[in-house]
Amino acid sequence: MASHTSKAFLSLGRINVSGLGLQKSVSRVTYATDLSIRSSNVNKGLPDRGDRGFFRRPRRTAGEPRTEKMPVDQDWTAVYPAATPFRPSSVPLPVRMGYPVKGGVPPEKKGNLELIKIPNFLHLTPAAIKKHCEALKPFCTEWPSALDTDAKCDEHFPIKVGSTDYVSAGLSVRNPSARIVDLKVKLSSLNLDDHARKKMLKLVGERYCKDTDVLTITTDSCPLRQQNHDYAMYLLTVLYHESWKTEAWEADKTVADMEEYSWEDSPSQRNILDMLVRMKVAGDREGEEVREQLLGRKEVQEYKDSVTRLKNEGESESTMLQYKEAVKKVLNL
Amino acid sequence: MALHRLSFRLRQTVTHVRPLHTSGCGQQQQQQQQDAVAVESEPEPFSVFRAQENDPACQSEKHIGQYYTLPSAHLRTLFPHSLPWRYQQQVKTFNEACVMVRQPALEVISYLKKTDYSKPSLRYLFYGLKGSGKTMSLCHTVHFCYTQGWLVLHVPDAHLWVKNCKELLPSSYNTSRFDQPLQATDWLRNFRITNEHFLSKIKTKQRYVWTKREFTEQGSPLGELVDQGISRVKSSSDVVGAVMKELRLQSGQPESDFRLAVAVDGVNALWGRSTIKKEDKSAVDPEELTLVYNLKKLMTNDWTGGAIITTVSQTGSLYTSKSAYLPQELLGERGFDSMDPFIPVSVPNYSEKEFESCYLYFMDRQWLQHPQSRTEEGKKELIFLSNRNPSMLDRICAFL
Repeated sequence: MASHTSKAFLSLGRINVSGLGLQKSVSRVTYATDLSIRSSNVNKGLPDRGDRGFFRRPRRTAGEPRTEKMPVDQDWTAVYPAATPFRPSSVPLPVRMGYPVKGGVPPEKKGNLELIKIPNFLHLTPAAIKKHCEALKPFCTEWPSALDTDAKCDEHFPIKVGSTDYVSAGLSVRNPSARIVDLKVKLSSLNLDDHARKKMLKLVGERYCKDTDVLTITTDSCPLRQQNHDYAMYLLTVLYHESWKTEAWEADKTVADMEEYSWEDSPSQRNILDMLVRMKVAGDREGEEVREQLLGRKEVQEYKDSVTRLKNEGESESTMLQYKEAVKKVLNL
Repeated sequence: MALHRLSFRLRQTVTHVRPLHTSGCGQQQQQQQQDAVAVESEPEPFSVFRAQENDPACQSEKHIGQYYTLPSAHLRTLFPHSLPWRYQQQVKTFNEACVMVRQPALEVISYLKKTDYSKPSLRYLFYGLKGSGKTMSLCHTVHFCYTQGWLVLHVPDAHLWVKNCKELLPSSYNTSRFDQPLQATDWLRNFRITNEHFLSKIKTKQRYVWTKREFTEQGSPLGELVDQGISRVKSSSDVVGAVMKELRLQSGQPESDFRLAVAVDGVNALWGRSTIKKEDKSAVDPEELTLVYNLKKLMTNDWTGGAIITTVSQTGSLYTSKSAYLPQELLGERGFDSMDPFIPVSVPNYSEKEFESCYLYFMDRQWLQHPQSRTEEGKKELIFLSNRNPSMLDRICAFL
């Protein structure tokens, strides 16, 4: 019951302390740090101050905190050699954390539970990392000198496989997230022709990033990392080979499926040719060769470019203006 | 400016100006102003924001930013229901209809002056942000066509035909389509008001049978057809279709002496979606509405001897996002392919000069009553609040 009440007090964080057995004056809003142990914890057997209770060894006064004695150029890795909770007397920084008292500031670091709760990286300062690297160096091999630029790395090793290792201290060292493998490859390094590339893009869908031309395959369906790695390589192989094949049903591809707009055989081409024929621009003739000749004209080519740009790039003021100029030229305005 | 009369007396009240056009100005095809000027029956007050030219044919870049007055006779016949609502209120308040001469309308008017009318008709499309003046530019262009003596087929808002339909009848002519008698009769009435003098001149080329006992003979004047539609409400949508077909076939023929101007506001409604529901609660495609179907036939460029002037608007359109204003977004794939090739004309917000002009006009009309609106600070505030958007400026000034 005692522990329950003390937990309750700590979680509140803000309590009105009744003057039960306390000598010092308290403000209306205080923190658990200011609380001394309630005398209602009868089970614990702690006495009130100045009562008839049994003798208890007087508490030793705390000495000077270590921070006072720290030189500026000390070896910090010796203070925090491993991951440990925050010790206010060992960290010489005037850190404050927590919700400020009304009209006041966040509470100081001394006895501040918020600072203790959060993870800290005081054991991973650059100096500590350097020491780790130095310690690991005897176990490493040299980086190949021929691969000194990123471009060369991409050229020789286009497929990049990544996975994450997790280290934690607990009941088990295993972490299920360690099985995730992601495979990154640039499509420009794969040998794909036009049809294969379009089919590949349709097959992978969201996994392709247009800006960086990188295909990312993330696998996590198998329980082990090696299995996921093999599965990812298998997926890449299958995608590559499937995109080179042409199935019979691919002939049913409609205009709506097309990735980009092509002007040939589009309503726009038909419209402009009809209009020009009706306007009798090429004289009074009709037929195929007239259309061919009209298509070859410079204004019609410009018109074709402007419409293609409008449809592929989307609309904006500049594309609209270009379209307008092209239409005016074609219609001789 | 070549002016015959300049009145330097500043008057507080504006009189209605009824310009009588001299014939030279009406048939002018060049852009430069020659000596033909509208002869004014009463002198106009001289202000820097008023153009002295009230005839759209004679307006040029020099008049950009200045207001010209629409004669009230034209206003009543040409725009019975076509002007924006707020502008109609403004006309009633100020007792005059002043339209600002702006670049987009002048551009289209110049193209209209230059085109060869034996070629297929060209399509012009006004587009721009909300409230930037597309409908007013359209009305300005239509006024030009009217003063040139063209036949004006004006659909004030195509969006009204695809929503809020109170009566939907299955079409008598084609069972898969639907009629909208109320909208059709409304439109026919306005058409009759606008084109009174053409109705007796144009004759139908075909015989139309409406019911067992009613028919319109071949060679009867168009007026009879229109009256038939207005009186017999049930067949009014088909009458609209017949009128459009007649005009389309006849314009550009050597024996007809009129030119056809088709003006549609909110043309993106024709290819959009509609909120009208059939009896089984499925949505009606605009294709299935007789009015829309016939209007679409007019929008193709297979007829000669006229022009098609349209706007795309997001206000009133259905299922389009509020920020869409570019033509392709609003027209959609089908609309763009049908309208292609067209000449898109962008209608921007007011320029500095145009804003000045509008501000001076409001001051002149005593519309800005707040004392701070007369100061420089007030003007800067107006610019900031409205971003020089015409309709925003109008709304803000309404409270001052």
